[in-house]
Amino acid sequence: MRDPNPGQRRRQSQRSDVRIPISESDLRVRRSDLRSPNQISEFRGPTSVSVSASVFVSVAFLLLLQQIPAQTRTDATPAEVLFATKVRPLLVEKCFPCHGGDPKKIKGELELNARAAMLRGGETSQKVLVPGKASESLLYLAVTWKDPDYEMPPKANDRLSEAQTWWIRDWIDGDAPWPEEERIEAILKAQSEGIIVATSGGLSEDWDRRRYKPENLWAYRPIVRPPVPQEFLPAGGGSSGEIDAFIHRRLDASKLEPAPRANRWALIRRVTFDLIGLPPSPEEVDAFVGDPQPDAGALARVVERLLASPHYGEQWGRHWLDVVRYADSSGFANDYERPNAWRYRDYVVRSFNQDKPFDQFVREQIAGDEIDPDDPEMLIATGFLRMGPWEHTGMSVAKITRQQFLDDITDSVGQVFLSHPLQCSRCHDHKFDPIPTRDYYSIQAVFATTQFTDRDAGFLESENQRDFESEESFLKRRIERYETTLKGIREKGERAERAWYAERGLEYAPRSALLKKGVPAERIAPRHLGLSTEDFGVERIARKNLIRHRWELDRFKPIAFSVYSGKTPSRRNVQQRLQMPKDPAQRGTLEKTAILSRGDPFSPAQRVVPGVLSCVPGPDKLEGLDEADAGISGRRRAFARWVASAENPLTARSIVNRVWQYHFGQGIAGNPNNFGSMGQKPSHPELLDWLAATFVQGGWSIKDLHRRILSSEVYARSSEHPDTSDVLARDPAGVSYAFFRPRRLSAEELRDSMLSVSSELNPQLGGIPVRPEMHLEAALQPRQIMGTYAPAYQPSRLPRQRNRRTIYALKLRGQSDPFLEVFNRPGSERSCERRDTSTVTPQVFSLLNGEQSYARALAMAERVLGETDSRESTVRRAFRLAYARQPQPDELDAALAHWKEMTARHRDLTFEPRTFPREVVRHAVEEMNGEPFEFTERLEVYEDYVPDRGPSDVGPEVRGLAELCLVLLNSNEFIYVP
Amino acid sequence: MKVRTNANEKRRRLPRREFLYGLGASLGSVAFTGLLAAKEASPPSSRQGSAPASPLAPRKGHVKARAKSCIFLMMDGGPSHIDTFDPKPALKKRHLEEFTRGGEDKSAMESGKRYFVESPFKFRKAGKCGADMAENWHHLSAVADRMCFYRGCQAESVNHPTALYHMNTGQRFGGDPAIGSWVTYGLGSLNRDLPGFIVLPDLAYPQGGAPNWGNGFLPAVYQGTALRPQGSPILDLRPPAGISLEHQRENLDLLEKLNRKHLAKYPWNDELAARMQNYELAFRMQMQVPGILDLDEEDEKTLELYGVGEEPTDAIGRKCLLARRLVERGVRFVQLYAGTWDSHDYIGRAHGSLMKKVDKPIAGLITDLERRGLLEETLIIWCGEFGRSPDNGIRGGTAYGRDHNAKAMTIWFAGGGVKAGHTIGATDELGAEAVELARPIRDVHVTVLRLLGLDDNKLTYFHAGRFKQLSQFGGKVIEELIG
Repeated sequence: MRDPNPGQRRRQSQRSDVRIPISESDLRVRRSDLRSPNQISEFRGPTSVSVSASVFVSVAFLLLLQQIPAQTRTDATPAEVLFATKVRPLLVEKCFPCHGGDPKKIKGELELNARAAMLRGGETSQKVLVPGKASESLLYLAVTWKDPDYEMPPKANDRLSEAQTWWIRDWIDGDAPWPEEERIEAILKAQSEGIIVATSGGLSEDWDRRRYKPENLWAYRPIVRPPVPQEFLPAGGGSSGEIDAFIHRRLDASKLEPAPRANRWALIRRVTFDLIGLPPSPEEVDAFVGDPQPDAGALARVVERLLASPHYGEQWGRHWLDVVRYADSSGFANDYERPNAWRYRDYVVRSFNQDKPFDQFVREQIAGDEIDPDDPEMLIATGFLRMGPWEHTGMSVAKITRQQFLDDITDSVGQVFLSHPLQCSRCHDHKFDPIPTRDYYSIQAVFATTQFTDRDAGFLESENQRDFESEESFLKRRIERYETTLKGIREKGERAERAWYAERGLEYAPRSALLKKGVPAERIAPRHLGLSTEDFGVERIARKNLIRHRWELDRFKPIAFSVYSGKTPSRRNVQQRLQMPKDPAQRGTLEKTAILSRGDPFSPAQRVVPGVLSCVPGPDKLEGLDEADAGISGRRRAFARWVASAENPLTARSIVNRVWQYHFGQGIAGNPNNFGSMGQKPSHPELLDWLAATFVQGGWSIKDLHRRILSSEVYARSSEHPDTSDVLARDPAGVSYAFFRPRRLSAEELRDSMLSVSSELNPQLGGIPVRPEMHLEAALQPRQIMGTYAPAYQPSRLPRQRNRRTIYALKLRGQSDPFLEVFNRPGSERSCERRDTSTVTPQVFSLLNGEQSYARALAMAERVLGETDSRESTVRRAFRLAYARQPQPDELDAALAHWKEMTARHRDLTFEPRTFPREVVRHAVEEMNGEPFEFTERLEVYEDYVPDRGPSDVGPEVRGLAELCLVLLNSNEFIYVP
Repeated sequence: MKVRTNANEKRRRLPRREFLYGLGASLGSVAFTGLLAAKEASPPSSRQGSAPASPLAPRKGHVKARAKSCIFLMMDGGPSHIDTFDPKPALKKRHLEEFTRGGEDKSAMESGKRYFVESPFKFRKAGKCGADMAENWHHLSAVADRMCFYRGCQAESVNHPTALYHMNTGQRFGGDPAIGSWVTYGLGSLNRDLPGFIVLPDLAYPQGGAPNWGNGFLPAVYQGTALRPQGSPILDLRPPAGISLEHQRENLDLLEKLNRKHLAKYPWNDELAARMQNYELAFRMQMQVPGILDLDEEDEKTLELYGVGEEPTDAIGRKCLLARRLVERGVRFVQLYAGTWDSHDYIGRAHGSLMKKVDKPIAGLITDLERRGLLEETLIIWCGEFGRSPDNGIRGGTAYGRDHNAKAMTIWFAGGGVKAGHTIGATDELGAEAVELARPIRDVHVTVLRLLGLDDNKLTYFHAGRFKQLSQFGGKVIEELIG
């Protein structure tokens, strides 16, 4: 589910009564990580004496206090806060009546109204209070009612709730402090009123005085590596076990049994899909299953192999491209292709493969051009800044499209790197988070000198330049055709005009020349003379497509989709390469960023200078920038340093949380793009911090992070649980990690896997976008672009070009592949923090009826036939390819019978070879006069197209087997990762 | 104590019920009929935020509904109010008068050397209410008393895709849920066998494409289902050529067997079960959808009423008739595209021929709904993404067209709950800008929701850190439009 549970949070945030940070209900909320109102799981705390929960609560308290900014920080210890807010009121209510200050009522010679009295004890010899050791303190033992001799308070209906006993335990374990009355009052005040956060300042003083619930500020507190709960470290195993210790602590508290370790067949499927997005080959399965090493060692070996695979970067790069909204086109009215965007896509893949330290990866994308303008890689990296949909047409108002970019990048930088959407602060100070509008525009000022350009950047050796020539000549063929069309129409018009002038005895000259000369209108031939509706339409199509295709020729040139720092040039219609100006600091205007009233670029108010998110600890200014005159260059470099610094707690938490999510299907914090108060709170805050701290200390290595996570027991847990109904009932949100949740393949993984098991996949890395076959009706679906119709989608000519991994498929914002779309590939308008997996009927149509599926099934059938020598071994091979396991006897029988039955059916069927249209005739309405017209678009690729093999190419045996393969490819076991 | 759910309960606990996005599936015969609440549940609210349990189960609105379903006639490209429903005689005197306009907040649509253009059309007073209509609305003028003309709406963008996104989704940049998605999210569908939101696009998709009817951040089940006017209405609806349903059934039986074995390992996993049901639904749909689209069931007179079978009305006539058939079967929201009205030049010819194409079909739709007693419960909206300017830019000569105009347009409504026979709001003397009851698009959206029984402030969904709503930040109902 994409949606967290908002209702619950809204209720909390709107409650007007003052809340104390840790209450019973808070504990419950914290423990169960609310997902939806009906999913509040009733986690029960430990009933035996156990340090687990106490550590948990104490750590939680510690965290709460750490996040109080200096301005309001009291130096109260967590235990002091607990005492003031919880323990003392409890003592007053439950204990003092018999053990309070009134000597006449004292029972058992025990007074509990002061620390010293507690230490002194009463008539019993057992110690009432042993600071730091609840398990030895009678005070705690008595309230748990464990020992029949000491059950306090004695009346059953006075008995403390479990959570109340934990307060006492945690207070004692925290050394049982008993602050002075004044101090208690101060603590209560700070706690009950929430926390004021120092920021750069809101638009109103009221906003500055706002108080935040401590639990909503978790993301801003510094990352301190929390202690690993030693008692939960797993024994033995191949990992150092820290992750498991954090997970086990919570699991233990929930009393849920973890599932056993997954078997090796499941594990290799899981980890292979996870790291490279492809299924393991039967040989890889055999090697792993037969590896004599213990499980952990054998798995580690597989992990290393996969991390070293170049396909790793494709899979993890794809995740990143979701977040940055990668597309090969600009969207909106023209949806022009971005001919060089692919180099950014490959840069991302490369970066993951190289295990580029994440902080460096961040800096390059924000400021590569300022870091080293001579390194092509740095220029390519800044493609990130231009990933959003953007266009500037002849109709656009420059200031508006400029502001559109500025707003887009400000918010994107927030979501992508800081896990903080910033758009909420565009028109007003943030309603829920300590983010003033001033910060929004201060960050925007960082980008006020960022200008789009398509810069020269020589190809790197590692860049794939295959197929440049064939693609270029394909494009040139189209260009020539349109040029010819255009010429014909112009000549036709000119002939008519010449006749018109001749009739009137006037001398012919082009219209524009006459207008320029100021010739009176009646002596100029009417516009569009001699042209039919058809001509209008065709002329426009040719003219507009020429603009598109000529621009697309840049694809093969060493150009980076990039930026520079400079003054803002004036822009007209952007429909070709944006050249780098000779002196970026000279021409144009230096933008003076100001807070915009209501976000309106025509209503600037107070000026701001480049800055940072001021609620984040650390420097509140950009270092190295002159405050008065921020200069033109260097703003982004300074900002990138701030984003990617070890002190910025958001960045490291953000990326480790994302990585965790891609491994487990859910983040530790459930909204990877939003760590603010409206995002889900982390289920395991200490684990998140431990991972983040370890990650930063280890040099921001993503591969090491994978190693850490993948070597944990929790990752290797089986997805089959002996008692799933119990786990689900008590932990519907899945935060206990009692078993591994299977996941459906993503759209890309599904297509890639089908190509892989059919052995058609071309594993080539990188390069210019490829065009896989798209459903022909969708490919030829006319779509309007500004003033005309977009060119038809034509697939790449050769199977090896088409059957590449999906990450390399041309991604047009205005035309998505229906197959990928129904399997929830996100659009590229906004950043995608987590993919949906919905189940809708068009998925069945695509996967069961679609030509593409059938082609894969057929190729798979041919493959397994070629690799085996008996019917049984053929079927076995098919199962092993699809499921990474052998068929069971009943499956084998059913499959063999099906093959036979289907072969019999196919004997009576004949299939014609697939034919492809050489052209498409379109019926359109000419916008100039509203009249319908027809035009024919040539589909050049089909002139020498090499199709996939089809049913007419093979006999009934193969087709029958293909039906079996089609069933396997449609089955849940193929589509779900165990 | 460990509680074991029995098999039936497990089946009932399917969480992701989006597979019920079944077209024509006979739900009576499948196991989870009980999933769909027979009685109307409450609408999802901001307090709930997430998708309702049975996403397409019919739900009551927040307020009393004046209409049950909506047909949204989208005249993409931006029809000129000045040449259709908002006559500007003052333009006659200023015809071809030239002027220059500038400013850094002006687009090329408004600036530079320009000249005024009179309307090439004559106007008349139509119906008892005396509505202003261009003379070439031959059929629509006969139903003028059913229509309510609103001249106050103002858009924000003069670019087609952004303005179209705005009119469709309440936000200019795409990626948010379309109004039809919101309505279906709020009210569910009255027909269990059809999607709640169906789109009938032109052959060519409009600028901005499918995101114009996208579900945005709402669950995929609320996405507009486009029925393609040519070829397969839904891609791959039928098995490949040569493959019979019987043949396919055998494949499905083996698939079911394999899936059932697999499911035994994950009895708790509702997604897997949902996927299995989905195949059965799809199998049924293959047989049933084509019937819904089959206009042969309609009698001669009805076809004639919509102009089906004659030119130039056939294409739009079919879509209007299909729209009626869909709302008749309980589809909540039908959006129909008829463009493109982007007449920068020769507006007499361009608008003239478009009016001919839509006049009879739309009038036929109103008449047909009325005679079937459906008009009262169906809200009809007719609009483009913006209006057009009283003047035109000089681009190498004059050709009597109009540029885009965000500041003025005419939207008309008919049917459920609207103040029929009235003209509300007004533009200035030249039609350049709304001056009376000038209200932003969001107010129109909020009004449409209100007529359908929904309160925009309660129809919210939590996404990306806040509760989102169609109007973005709230709007005001235009009470004057409500009858």
